[in-house]
Amino acid sequence: MRSRITTATLAVAVMFLTWACSAADRQVWLEHNTHFASGEHAGFSFANNKDGSNPKVTRSDIDFAREQKWWGIYAVTVDPKQIMQN
Amino acid sequence: MIWPRVAILAVALLLGSAVSAKAAGPQDGIIPIGEYSTVKGRGLAEAHKTELAKLAEHIYHCLPWMGVVKNGIGFPHPNEAKGDDRYLSVWVSIDQAEDPRFGAFTLPQRVSAMFSRYGVDLLRRMIKFTDVQSDANVQGFTVILSWVKPGTAATAPISETIALFADKPVVADFLAQRLPAAEFAEKATFNVFDGKTKIGRVQLDIVQDDFNSTYKLKGYELAKGQTC
Repeated sequence: MRSRITTATLAVAVMFLTWACSAADRQVWLEHNTHFASGEHAGFSFANNKDGSNPKVTRSDIDFAREQKWWGIYAVTVDPKQIMQN
Repeated sequence: MIWPRVAILAVALLLGSAVSAKAAGPQDGIIPIGEYSTVKGRGLAEAHKTELAKLAEHIYHCLPWMGVVKNGIGFPHPNEAKGDDRYLSVWVSIDQAEDPRFGAFTLPQRVSAMFSRYGVDLLRRMIKFTDVQSDANVQGFTVILSWVKPGTAATAPISETIALFADKPVVADFLAQRLPAAEFAEKATFNVFDGKTKIGRVQLDIVQDDFNSTYKLKGYELAKGQTC
């Protein structure tokens, strides 16, 4: 029983570690403490092939990507007050 | 039976500790009425709240490669406009991957390309809101476009931004091709920013580009009930 659970645990671990994980991905991953930014990020990654061969993108996927940056880095952008006042 | 718990813990750790975040919807793009500093601004936001919501929904669902920035749609007063002149304004950030051809452009060329591609089309969509267009308290239209400066995305991303506003007759004449692009650029007020640094005006050469009105995002599933 114990060995079956150990094997299953290792299999799941290997599956997650190799999923869509190129050298560039690994570098980004190493800079963060979790693989996915959120459950939404994980769900999107599982639902789509990384090579883009079967894309299924909803508007909320794009929202989540933008909002969470999915391990991207926020850009330095002009302050709205430099342009206009409400 | 400690192993099942260890297995669950291992999976949880691999999935990460991040919590579920709620995505911002199109309503987050609209400047809240309470944030306007003048009666005129609040009055316009109240009078045209339906149009603002429609514009936000339209961009959100039909142009998903653009993201309206938080509080990016409304009737703000551009700093260089007169008095309390109010302009229907849209501020979007544009998602695009690094492209060596785009990266080889000079700043004025990048600004011209982005405004030609996205700015003109946005103005065309904005001017269709006839209730806003015919409101005497609306002086004109503002388009603000931000995109990631080439070569900065991987390390320390910096946005380049053009903020352009023009009075209603100028925009209408330009879109109806009664005003040449060079004259439109001359009459419009705009500034370019490199990150937070104001560059000011650059040579703005507007060319015809129908990308924004014809592009279809591969695999994009339009939300139920939405039409574009």
